[in-house]
Amino acid sequence: MKLIALMKKEFARFFGDYKLLITMILPGLLIYIIYSVMGSVMFGGEEEAYRLRVYVEGESAIVSTVESAASANGWETEMLSLSEAGIDEETAREQVASGEASALLVFSENFDASLGKGAAAEIVYNADDDGSAAFASLVNAALQSFSFTLTVSDLSGSGGGAQMVMAGILPMLIVIFVFSSCMSVTLESVAGEKERGTLATILVTSVRRSDIALGKVLPLSCVSLIGAASSFLGVVLSLPTLMGVSLDVAAAGVGAAGYVLLFLLILSFVPLIVAAIAAVSALSRSVKEASGYTSVLMILMMVLSLVTAFLPDIGGWVVAVPILNAVAAMQGILTGAPVVWMCLVSVAVNLAYTAVLIAVIARLLSSERVMFGK
Amino acid sequence: MQDNLPFSDFGEEVVRAEGLRKTFTLSRKQQRLEHTDFPRKVALDGLSFSAQRGEIYGLLGPNGAGKTTTLRILSTLISPDAGDAFVCGHSVRKEPGKVRDVIGFMTSELKLEGFFTPSYLFDFFGAMHGVEKGALAQRKQELFARFGIDRFAEVKVSDLSTGMLQKVSLVISIVHDPAVVIFDEPTNGLDVLTAKVVIDFLLELKAMGKSILLSTHIFSLVEKLCDRVGIIIDGKMAADGKLQDVCGEMSLEDKFFAIYRSIKGDAV
Ligand SMILES: Nc1ncnc2c1ncn2[C@@H]1O[C@H](COP(=O)(O)OP(=O)(O)OP(=O)(O)O)[C@@H](O)[C@H]1O
Ligand SMILES: [Mg+2]
Repeated sequence: MKLIALMKKEFARFFGDYKLLITMILPGLLIYIIYSVMGSVMFGGEEEAYRLRVYVEGESAIVSTVESAASANGWETEMLSLSEAGIDEETAREQVASGEASALLVFSENFDASLGKGAAAEIVYNADDDGSAAFASLVNAALQSFSFTLTVSDLSGSGGGAQMVMAGILPMLIVIFVFSSCMSVTLESVAGEKERGTLATILVTSVRRSDIALGKVLPLSCVSLIGAASSFLGVVLSLPTLMGVSLDVAAAGVGAAGYVLLFLLILSFVPLIVAAIAAVSALSRSVKEASGYTSVLMILMMVLSLVTAFLPDIGGWVVAVPILNAVAAMQGILTGAPVVWMCLVSVAVNLAYTAVLIAVIARLLSSERVMFGK
Repeated sequence: MQDNLPFSDFGEEVVRAEGLRKTFTLSRKQQRLEHTDFPRKVALDGLSFSAQRGEIYGLLGPNGAGKTTTLRILSTLISPDAGDAFVCGHSVRKEPGKVRDVIGFMTSELKLEGFFTPSYLFDFFGAMHGVEKGALAQRKQELFARFGIDRFAEVKVSDLSTGMLQKVSLVISIVHDPAVVIFDEPTNGLDVLTAKVVIDFLLELKAMGKSILLSTHIFSLVEKLCDRVGIIIDGKMAADGKLQDVCGEMSLEDKFFAIYRSIKGDAV
C-alpha cells in the first residue's frame, strides 16, 4: 500500500512535467541522426548500386529468390555456377578473398528436396568489400524464413569491415544514451530530494526503508525505459543505413528473436543503472556532487564497453560483469550471430545485481551518517 | 487514539530520556570550524528528562548545546551512542517504527515538494503513516478548515505564501493524529506574522490534548508557551522542571544566566 503511494508520487512528479519527458525522447532521435549521417557517409547513401559477381555451387530455387531481392535493391548481380565459370571452389574462395568476386554460395546436395531435413548452405563473402558485405546481409535476411542451416563465412583479412565497426560501437552508444536518460531522472529524483530535504520528510514516517528504495527504483526505471525505448527505436530505424539495405531486409537480418533479446537486455540494465545512480545519489550531499560521481561512472562504463566491443572472443566470463555482459550480447545480436544463453544469463545477472543494489539503498537510507551527517 | 488515554503502561510520562549520549566524529573541515584539534565532539553527555502528557515542554539552550541532537534522537532520525529514550513507552532504539507512528516531527529541515498541492501531500503522507482512507479524508477536511488551508488545497506548494506553507507543513506533520508533537526551533527565521501562525497552532494542538516538546533559545517563547522547561548546556541538563519551580522569583532570562555562569564561570 505504502509502496504504491510512493510509486504513484514518483509517476505524478514525472508525467506532470513535460520538460522531463522531452529529455527522455531526445537520445533516440540523436542515435537515429548520428547513425543516418555516419551510415550515408560510409556507404555513400542507401541506394548504392553495387555490381556483384556471385559464384554458386550446387542447385536451388533460392538462387533466383536472392537474385530478384538483389535487383529489387537496384544491384546488378551476375550469378555464375562454378561449372559455367570453369573454376573450382578453391579458386572461387580465393577470388572472394581478393575482392575479384563478391560472394560464393554453396548448397548441399539435393538442397530443395531436403529443406527442413538437414539442408545446409554457406555464404562466403568479404566484409572489407561494401558490396560483398551488403550482399551477405541480404542473403542472410532473405533466407531467414527457410529452414536450413546457413553458414556465413567472412574471408576479409581484418575480420570485420566498416559494418562490423559500427555494430561494435552501437551497443556502447545504446548503453550511453540509456545511461544519460536514467541519469537525468534519477539524479533529480534521489539526490535532488535529499538535497532539498523532502526525502527526510519521508524518512520521519514509519514507511519501510526498502519500500522507499523500491518506490524510487521501480518508477524511475519505467520512466527511463521511455528513454531506452526511444534509443531502441533510434537503433531500429538506423539499421538499414547501417547495413546499406532497405528497412525490411535489415529488420529481417537481426530477426524477430534478435529484437526481443535486444529489448530484454535493455530492460535488464535500465533498473540496474537507475539503482546504481540512486545509490550514488543517496551517498552524495547534493545533486552537483552526485552528478560528478555519476559522470565518472559513465566514463568508466564507456571505456569498458569499448574494450568489450573490440576485444575479439571476449570469453564467457563477461556475463558476470553487469552492463558489459549486455554490451557483448547486443554485439552478437547486431552482427547477426546472437548467443542466446549469453543474452538470457546477462538479463538474469543484471536483475540480480539490481536486487542487491536496492538492498544497499535501503541500508543507506537507514544510515544516519549517510542521511544526516554534516 | 489509545495513547491519548491516561493510565497507559507509561503513565503520564509521554517522553522519557535516560542518560542520552551522542558523540560526532568531526571531519577536518568541521574541526577548523569548531576551532579544535580534537576529532570527536560530545554533543550529548548523559542527558535525562521527562515530559508530561498534555503539556508543552521547552528545551532551552544556547547554540550547539545539543537541542537538535536530542530531538533528532527522539524522532529516531539518529540513534544515541548510550542511553535510551521512550516515547509513549516505545524505545527509540528498539521500536523506531512505533515511535514514528506516535510522533509528529517538525523542523525547518524537513521540506515539502513544491511540485505538489497541499491536498496531494496530505494524502501522500497519510498513506506513508498507514492512515485509513476514509479517516484520512475526514481528517483532511477538519484540519484544512480549522487552519484555513481549504482555499489553497489545490495550489502548488511552491506558489504558497510563507505563512500558508508553514501552516501546511504543520498540518501535514500531524496527518496521522500523533500523541506527541516534537518541534525544533518553531519560530526560527520566521517573521512576526508567520511566527504567530506557528504559536497559535501549538496552542491549538495543546487544546486538542496533544503533548508537545519544543526546542528554542528564545526566553519569551518558553515563558509564553511552556509548562515545563529543561535548560541544556554543553549536552547536559542544567535545570529541569515546572517553569515556576525552575525560575523561582527570577525571570527565566536571569535564571538562565545565573545557571550558565555557575557552570562556565564569568565568561559571559
Ligand atoms: N552531524 C554532525 N556532525 C558533527 N557534529 C555535529 C553534528 N550534528 C551536531 N553536531 C555538533 O553537536 C553539537 C550540538 O549540536 P546541536 O545541533 O544539537 O545543537 P543545538 O542546540 O541544536 O544548537 P543550535 O541552537 O545552533 O541549533 C554542536 O557542537 C554541533 O556542531
Ligand atoms: Mg538546533
